[in-house]
Amino acid sequence: MQISKKVVVLGHFGVGKTSLIRRFVEDSFSDNYKVSIGVHITKKTIEFSIDESVTLILWDLEGTDDISQIRESYLLGSHGIIFVFDVSRPTTFQNLGKDLISLKEKTNEVPVKIVGNKSDLVDAKELDQVLSEKNISYDYITSAKTGHKVNHLFEELAKMLAINA
Amino acid sequence: MLKEFREYYKNNKFQFILTDLEGSVIDSDQNLFRTEKGTALGEIHPFFFSISDIMGPNREKTVFHCVQLGNSTEELTVDIEIIKQNGQFLIAIENLTEHYISYQSIAQARNESIIDSELILLKNHDLEERERFKNEFIQNFSHELRNPLTNIIALTNILQRSQLDEEQSNILTVLKDSTSNLKLMLEDILSLAMISKGKLALNPTVFNFKQLIEFLKLTYNTRAKERGLIFTITADESIPEYIEGDRLRLLQILTNLCDNAIKYTPNGKIILYAIQNQRRANKVNLRFGVKDTGIGIPEEKLETVLESFEQLGNTEGVGLGLSIVKGLLSLMDSRIQIESTSGKGSHFFFDVNLQFPLHDPNNETPDKKSKNEVVQKQKKYRVLLVEDNEGVQTSLLKTLIDAGDFFIDLVSDGALVMQEIVNKSYDIILMDVNLPNITGDQLAKVIRGFPFKNIKSIPIIGITANSYKAQIKAYKKAGMNVVLSKPFDDKELLSNIYKLLK
Ligand SMILES: Nc1nc2c(ncn2[C@@H]2O[C@H](COP(=O)(O)OP(=O)(O)OP(=O)(O)O)[C@@H](O)[C@H]2O)c(=O)[nH]1
Ligand SMILES: [Mg+2]
Repeated sequence: MQISKKVVVLGHFGVGKTSLIRRFVEDSFSDNYKVSIGVHITKKTIEFSIDESVTLILWDLEGTDDISQIRESYLLGSHGIIFVFDVSRPTTFQNLGKDLISLKEKTNEVPVKIVGNKSDLVDAKELDQVLSEKNISYDYITSAKTGHKVNHLFEELAKMLAINA
Repeated sequence: MLKEFREYYKNNKFQFILTDLEGSVIDSDQNLFRTEKGTALGEIHPFFFSISDIMGPNREKTVFHCVQLGNSTEELTVDIEIIKQNGQFLIAIENLTEHYISYQSIAQARNESIIDSELILLKNHDLEERERFKNEFIQNFSHELRNPLTNIIALTNILQRSQLDEEQSNILTVLKDSTSNLKLMLEDILSLAMISKGKLALNPTVFNFKQLIEFLKLTYNTRAKERGLIFTITADESIPEYIEGDRLRLLQILTNLCDNAIKYTPNGKIILYAIQNQRRANKVNLRFGVKDTGIGIPEEKLETVLESFEQLGNTEGVGLGLSIVKGLLSLMDSRIQIESTSGKGSHFFFDVNLQFPLHDPNNETPDKKSKNEVVQKQKKYRVLLVEDNEGVQTSLLKTLIDAGDFFIDLVSDGALVMQEIVNKSYDIILMDVNLPNITGDQLAKVIRGFPFKNIKSIPIIGITANSYKAQIKAYKKAGMNVVLSKPFDDKELLSNIYKLLK
């Protein structure tokens, strides 16, 4: 059966949303930062077996430091949300709790995965300490640059959404 | 004309599409991209893939701003309006690429500058953390060094008074020089750490300015001669004889500048001068300067020469001197200024505001030394020494025994002190403030609160490795008459004891 799922990727600007998607879809990376505006949409099909696959429709949103300002139309009909923060910039995760609450107000039951990106820039142990001090729980720590855990993130999400379907 | 214009404009700006509820194209114009009848719109661009999900069962109309429909070769940024009507979707797409390109460049500049400033803040925070850690470490470490150093200084003094042959005496002189150098260095490091932490306070007193100048003359004449240099010192006659200021810190600044000049002057001369800039009421503004004919400072190093550990060339010694000067001067609301030519020499100078007493302090403070001399040698005094560190015990004991004026009792536990002082009558108590079981200041409080006059008024000298002003004040408030910070030498200790016994 061919199913497709809309996944919205959002978070503060410059955290690596576009880079994560590019790593997953094209397996490439660039150090240049081109600010995304509005929304850019790509898709990729993940095959679990010969007759089982999911097409992820990935909505790459313009970054913002005020999650409550995200245009609601972008979120309509989404099946999953990936909230990305930048592990090397505390401003992108210090209000994570509040950000998630204002996101929930707009999306209700849509499952959210929390991703700390740019793991290549920090020491894993120090990061652990900082995040636990600030009481921040996450689902994945990734690096779009090295590819660390990127496929893992999207594939697990796809599997979860396929089961929910 | 207007009709044509409208046509042209519409054709380049808009595309209208009609689909069924599955997103299959029923009708469309081809203004922005090609759409064949019957194709699923989702195949043309993934935006439309989830169109039925987006609209859901209840939604009549939705507007999407700033959607990127372009591909790798062509940018196309549009607003899309979708209307559900009669079991069909009406889709209006407006090409706003131009508009959004300028928006993008604004967002680009904004985000980049915010991220840059965030990263700078983070980096500064890191640097501050490291600086703080360094200072704390240095401070703790230098405190640890004080105890053994106190012992060495005390024992060296004792040794010097014993019977020595010539060779032993020579060795001891070198030993003494080395320890006093070590002590100075330790003081420097500690001062620097305390300055950086904002914990050093000035301690202004009235002092004889001429004597200070004489002292510097003597010290540096000898040292300069040893190196084949000429040292001269000049001070305006108009400068008041007595000055009120922190003599020790002023001396520290001037010795650091002179030491530095000697270090970096292979040959030639060094001039230390003091000029009176201004004088009003009891305030005086002085300029001090040190000029040398040394190697000078290259222009590109002038900025960094005042930072810690920065050194010129490969000369020996720690490069702390100038950063201490900088720190101490900022405490005095002053600033070091440097004029230097590489290869020709340097000129360091600063202006500082000081006060001076309007009457002659000589009339009030007759020479203390001669009086002390008289007080001594009358009778033997009873001293209670409270100290748990064995090394310090030994050196203090030796100093006291050596002086010959004391009967000494020693306890190493604060809890036993009360028992001792009630049973015997002491003339003075000498105590470490860091004792097991009960601290020195607690003990002092208890003694001062005693109901018997002969006990509650026993003079107490506290001994501490701590030189924080606030801490010392607290000890005094607890009832200690004098607090000595390690390292001190036996002369300092004895003169304080005799003063209190008067
Ligand atoms: N070192 C490192 N850099 C990364 C990583 N991911 C992204 N970057 C860099 O971070 C910058 C921003 O990446 P983007 O992917 O454009 O970030 P974004 O979240 O899409 O930003 P906006 O579109 O402005 O919201 C770029 O310079 C990337 O090269 C990563 O995992 N490691
Ligand atoms: Mg982006």
